Amino acid sequence: MIIPVRCFSCGKLVGDKWEDFVKKVKAGEDPKVVLDSLGMIRYCCRRMLLSHVDIIDEILKFYEETQKKEF
Amino acid sequence: MDIQLIEKTNISMQLVIRGVDVPFMNALRRIMMAEVPSMAVDDVVFIENSSVLHDEVLAHRLGLVPLVTDLDSYNLPEKCTCKSEFGCNLCRVTLTLEAEASESITTIYTGDLKSEDPHITPVSDKIPLVKLAPGQKIKLEAYARLGTEMVHAKWQPVSVCAYKYLPQINIDEKLCNACEECVKICSKKVLVRDENKIVPKNTIECTLCQDCVKVCSSPPAINVAWSDDSYVFNIETDEVLPPERIVLEALNILNRKIDDLLGQLTTKNELLH
Ligand SMILES: [Zn+2]
Ligand SMILES: [Zn+2]
Repeated sequence: MIIPVRCFSCGKLVGDKWEDFVKKVKAGEDPKVVLDSLGMIRYCCRRMLLSHVDIIDEILKFYEETQKKEF
Repeated sequence: MDIQLIEKTNISMQLVIRGVDVPFMNALRRIMMAEVPSMAVDDVVFIENSSVLHDEVLAHRLGLVPLVTDLDSYNLPEKCTCKSEFGCNLCRVTLTLEAEASESITTIYTGDLKSEDPHITPVSDKIPLVKLAPGQKIKLEAYARLGTEMVHAKWQPVSVCAYKYLPQINIDEKLCNACEECVKICSKKVLVRDENKIVPKNTIECTLCQDCVKVCSSPPAINVAWSDDSYVFNIETDEVLPPERIVLEALNILNRKIDDLLGQLTTKNELLH
C-alpha cells in the first residue's frame, strides 16, 4: 500500500528514504549505488525499498476522479 | 576486561570487548534490545480520518515512527508518580496531526506532526504517513510514552545489536607462496598482499567463512580461528538515543538487577545458611 516505516527484519527506519530512492532510480541511477548512498547496508533493509510497490497511488486515482465528478 | 572503541558515528558503534564470556555479552545484548526504554506513540485518538488507510493501519504506522527520546525528563508510565493510566506531563507527550488535501494528491509526512514538547519529535521529518486525495482529511491526537521492547518492538532503541567472536588469522610464512588466491576469494577483503607475503588487514571484518583456508594449497598456510574471550560488538541505533547512552543504560539496568538480587539475599538471611 504505502512504504513501511521500518524494515520488517531489523527495524531500521526505511520510510524516509523511499522518495529519494524512487527519484534517483527513475533518473537512471543504479539502485545498488543509490541504496549504498542511503546507508542501506543489510539486505533485509535493501529489499524493503527494492521490492516495494506504492499501490496507494493507484487507489487514490479513484478518489481523485470521484472528487472531480462531484464538482 | 578491556574495551576498545573501533568506530563510532552518531547512529552506530563498534566495540571490541576482551576478557568476558558469552553469558555476559548476551545479557548486555538482550538488555540493550529489550529493556532500554525509548519513546513511541502508544495511543491514538482519531477525530477524523477519511483517508484510504484505516484508523488501525495509520495508528500502527504512527507507533513505528522513532521519536527522539529524553530519558532524563520522562518516566516509564508504570513507574511514574501520577499512577494514572492516562498519564501526566512526566510520562506522556501529545502529538497532533491535522491535514487536508485540497487541490491535488498530498503526502502527509512525520514533519506535519506537532509535538507539545519540542525535544520529543520524530527522528526524520520525511517519513510518509499517508497520502490524501483531494477532499480527504485527517485529524488525530497521538500519545507517546516510554516503553520497552518486551512489550512491543516499536520501543526497541537499536536495530542491529549483535556480537561475534574476535577472529584470529595466522599465516605461516614458510608454507605461503603468496599466490593471492585467498586475497581474491575473500568477500570481506580481509587479506592484502604486502610485497611478497600475504597479511591480514582488517581482521574484525572476517566472517570466519574459511573460504581462504579451502582455496589454499594443502596443508593450508592460512589458519582462521577465533578468540574464546574476545568479542566484536556492533550496535546501530534507530537514532532515538546516542549509541553510548544505550550501552550505559543497559549496564545500569543490569547493575540494578544484580543489586536487587544481592539486597534480597542479604535481607533474607536464612537463604545464606
Ligand atoms: Zn533491515
Ligand atoms: Zn505520570
